[in-house]
Amino acid sequence: MPVISLFAWMLVIAFLAFIACMFEDLESDIGSQSNPNSQIQLAPEMGYIHRYFNKAISGEGLSYALSCTIAGAIAMLMLLKLEPMLVAKGMSLGYAAVLAIPVGAAVGSLVHMVRASTCYVGREAAHKRFEQPIYLDVFYGHLLPIATHNFMAVICITAIAYIQSNLGLLSGVAGASNPFPLPLLCLIWGLTVGAIGSSTGDIHYGTERAFQDKPFGEGRRVVYHGQICRYGDCGIRTSKDVAAFCAKYGGPATGLTFGLIVLFENWRTVIGMLLGGLSVEGLANPAVAAAGGIGIGIVIAAVLTILNRMLEKWTRDKYGPFVGE
Amino acid sequence: MIETLLLVLVCIIIGGILSSLAVHLMPVGGAPAAMATATGIATGCVMLMTGAAVTGLFTASTVASFWATNPSVILVALSGAVGAMLMMGFTMFVANLIYIFGAGVVPCSGRVAVDPITRESQTEYKTPRTDGHGVPTVSYVSGILGGFSGGFGGALIYVVLVSDSYAHFSVATAGIVAMGIFIANAIIAAYNIGGTIEGFHDPKFKARIQTGLTCALIVSVLCGVIVVIAMLTGTLVGGVM
Repeated sequence: MPVISLFAWMLVIAFLAFIACMFEDLESDIGSQSNPNSQIQLAPEMGYIHRYFNKAISGEGLSYALSCTIAGAIAMLMLLKLEPMLVAKGMSLGYAAVLAIPVGAAVGSLVHMVRASTCYVGREAAHKRFEQPIYLDVFYGHLLPIATHNFMAVICITAIAYIQSNLGLLSGVAGASNPFPLPLLCLIWGLTVGAIGSSTGDIHYGTERAFQDKPFGEGRRVVYHGQICRYGDCGIRTSKDVAAFCAKYGGPATGLTFGLIVLFENWRTVIGMLLGGLSVEGLANPAVAAAGGIGIGIVIAAVLTILNRMLEKWTRDKYGPFVGE
Repeated sequence: MIETLLLVLVCIIIGGILSSLAVHLMPVGGAPAAMATATGIATGCVMLMTGAAVTGLFTASTVASFWATNPSVILVALSGAVGAMLMMGFTMFVANLIYIFGAGVVPCSGRVAVDPITRESQTEYKTPRTDGHGVPTVSYVSGILGGFSGGFGGALIYVVLVSDSYAHFSVATAGIVAMGIFIANAIIAAYNIGGTIEGFHDPKFKARIQTGLTCALIVSVLCGVIVVIAMLTGTLVGGVM
């Protein structure tokens, strides 16, 4: 039963990872953070005055690592204070987490919102020479979606870190907890979630949504750079319209990436532990457990490489060579 | 004692050099790749490689905790390598899904006319006035190898720092020091690449790898010496956290 419980918690972690990375990508789309930001930044220089939100606090990985680590540190401080009080009253330790994780995530999101504010005003002020105004309605209107999407991502990452650092206690299997402290796990997953959001979801925004008036099915030529699409289905486009579009494909695909990574990383480790004779007391043979996990991981990587090759072959046959000038 | 110090120093140097090699193997297109104007993953080298390496580090830390004392260095390092490899594999695969179905482009290399692995022509699939787009097979394989190399390097540094037979730092301190050494090497490698790179088949790789690895050696020796001083003085034994 405890081993089944371990698998169940693993699925909860994978589900939270999916939600976290999807919201991370959508938040970066609303704020025009990361790589497509180069186009938002370039547009006024090309004479394209726009109403997109413009922030590039830093690379997404570092930005999210900071938000999540702040959340993790606050949550850990609260847990350290609250848990002894609950123990003294004979109550479950889980009540402390129910309060600590959302409060930690809220503080992380507020700090992120402050950085988004200074970033937008600073960047747009620097565009004065290209006659790009600072639209106050764009500024105020985007801060809440940025903070709420960021909150969703950060609360899920903090919850993942909490579950992983207490997995032994939660599942009843000795030694199942990760040895890293809560804020360090938040740092690790914050970095990873940002790196994945930046690597995958941004393509849907940068290639498709930001250049929707350019031909579909071709890479964006260098001559198009800066010539972003500024009009929406009705009226002038803002960054909020970008999130609605990317939520249909880029966001969920990004969430799927992180969800699959977390799922298969944990799955191969748990299967390896079972091979190594996992019981409630712990592992009988650690070397077999580690080797089993490594073997399964190599097989998954080989399958992925073959799948990618099949996908490339299918695309070449289906789409054919480039047609046009 | 001297042998232990030397062993820790050598492992940090090997880990640092492998981290640098990993960054050079990444198919990184940077900002242009987000607009399908360059081949590779749409982010910076350091960001992608650090994300992959910390995923490996997470698994390595779990695997290292399987042993009550003296974790197996090679098995923990390999666990980290496979973790980073999987992170790269899933990321590149889903990136290709978005390129193909979200933007309608065919993955192709902009730096070579023929894919060295599949032997398929690339030029006619490339959009004019771009530097390629998507993650073709050769870049995918290069990314997988890069993930393996970087994950191995990061986890190797971690396990020698955390093991009670070697540096005996606390788990958290070992994790932070390993990440620090890894990121220092990754940033130096990113400066050496200077923008975008498609993988081991890119002419840039052959031209710049020697400089990159030499710099990684110097940086890793410096980092290793600091760790050795910390070990000798006992500053971080048992950890600061």
